[in-house]
Amino acid sequence: MIALASIRDLTVTYRRDGNEVAALKTINLDIGAGERLAIIGESGSGKSTLALAIAGLLPASSRIEGRLDWFLPSSPSSGAKAPPSVLPDISPPRGEITPSFRLSPITEIASKELPSKLPISPLAGEMSGRTEGGGTDRQPKFVPLGGRDIGFVFQDPSASLDPVMAVGKQIAEVAYTHLGLTWPQAYAKAKSLLERVRLPDPDSALRAFPHQLSGGQKQRVAIAAAIAAGPKLLIADEATSALDTIVQAEIVALIRRLVAEDGMTLLFISHDIALAAELAERIAVFRHGELLELGPTAQIVDAPTQAYTRTLLDAHIGLDATPLLNRAGLNA
Amino acid sequence: MNLLTVSNLTKRYRRGGKTIAAVDDISFHIEPGETLALAGPSGSGKSTIARLVLRLIEPDAGHIEFEGNDFLALSGAALRQRRARLQMVFQDPLAAFNPRSTVARLLDDPLRIHGIAARAERPRRIAALLERVGLAADLAPRAIHEISGGQRQRVAIARAIATKPSLIVLDEAVSALDVSVRGQILELLLDLQRQERIAYLFISHDLGVVRAIAHRVVLLEAGEIAECGDARTVIDAPQSAIGKALVAAAPRLNRTRP
Repeated sequence: MIALASIRDLTVTYRRDGNEVAALKTINLDIGAGERLAIIGESGSGKSTLALAIAGLLPASSRIEGRLDWFLPSSPSSGAKAPPSVLPDISPPRGEITPSFRLSPITEIASKELPSKLPISPLAGEMSGRTEGGGTDRQPKFVPLGGRDIGFVFQDPSASLDPVMAVGKQIAEVAYTHLGLTWPQAYAKAKSLLERVRLPDPDSALRAFPHQLSGGQKQRVAIAAAIAAGPKLLIADEATSALDTIVQAEIVALIRRLVAEDGMTLLFISHDIALAAELAERIAVFRHGELLELGPTAQIVDAPTQAYTRTLLDAHIGLDATPLLNRAGLNA
Repeated sequence: MNLLTVSNLTKRYRRGGKTIAAVDDISFHIEPGETLALAGPSGSGKSTIARLVLRLIEPDAGHIEFEGNDFLALSGAALRQRRARLQMVFQDPLAAFNPRSTVARLLDDPLRIHGIAARAERPRRIAALLERVGLAADLAPRAIHEISGGQRQRVAIARAIATKPSLIVLDEAVSALDVSVRGQILELLLDLQRQERIAYLFISHDLGVVRAIAHRVVLLEAGEIAECGDARTVIDAPQSAIGKALVAAAPRLNRTRP
């Protein structure tokens, strides 16, 4: 497995009412390039904290320890506009198309508190001078940028989409910002993305506002925006949990197709182990901020080593489950 | 005799100049001690039916007979009195209850309002209700926002059973719970049904859960009944297009060694 990202001893602590709560405890996890990895857990397991940590979206008040190293192939995205305020010293070899996967250790999370000016970019640590993954310490630093290199789909598209901006513009501005397109080109890209996510009537959908769309349609728009800049990694955090079963199955099928077509790596965060097993090649089981078990889907489903994983599997109520209802008992 | 009989129930909404029937000429009944599930996709009318049955909203047409009375004809004190027999549990108890309220206060309300227990007796009744739903009595002084989601839904059930209802409307009542907690809550509901002969109108989009706990199911699509019958018969071999689509979409865990 070629790693896309390598997480070492990641500990995330939130401060709440003067107390420190560890949301993640010394997590070690490699995300393989191009794999579909599911993160499974119940509330309080730390699965969403992991997603936010990887995307660099943790709040400034959180304390992050450990390392997160990225092994992104050199970005061929020529002409991209990197906001200078976010990427001060970074000059990755843009425009230089590298056909072979030259892996370079890119960032790390230094064991220190984040500067409050960079609340959403905990990945920008100092150069460590370490040599890893075949790269050298003279590699230009490359910070994966949320929206460009990492696409994020949240549970509630009503909360993640701007309610007073037409959805076409919301998608187009991702392409405009990260791909160096003109606005007309960005809008054309937005329309083709709406077609890719199978939104009916993309022309009028461009001008629609989020409240005019159904929950499933809104999530399709959110996915279109998430993949607009061609990210290497797509993170879906409970992206189908608020949808009904039929729409959920459609969105899962859409994610599966888009990830395959674009060669993206997928991090699928879910409380639903059955849903995750249908989509993911590997499953990581989290509980109380710890990574309990990680393995290929078939192994996790058929031969879990942890009692808790078995509990989750047994708690699934499928269409073939033995009914809880004992009709004789109830009607007696 | 039926506990609840719903006949030709219709509710229309106007949206953007168009009139949409959220519930369109729906009829069904529930027997004492029975679980009837309403299942269907978003927008199929499940929750609108729940709100109509609870008289949180009024229908445009149709009849509801509850415990032998014309439920839609009741108003004022008579309606409040009858409502004690028809309780509700929603998906998110934190949204349904005042988050700053204590557990004790939430359980005291129905006992006081419906005149079920005198003030001096209420602490004992509250402790008994907590015990009945599997919670420790020392949870009573805790704020509702301090306790876990599973505990909160148990409190919601305790509050519902405080007035000794014959029917509880459960609108996605286990949908937001962790799976390990969900099974315990379903067991609690079944135990209450066995002991107290409470009927449930169980609203869910999850056919696996419906098949596990309901006697009968009504499958809804766009405000109309697509299919109804014995829960396992319908779900194991759906005849309607929406029934087939719901079954096909349910996540499956293919375990070779369950």
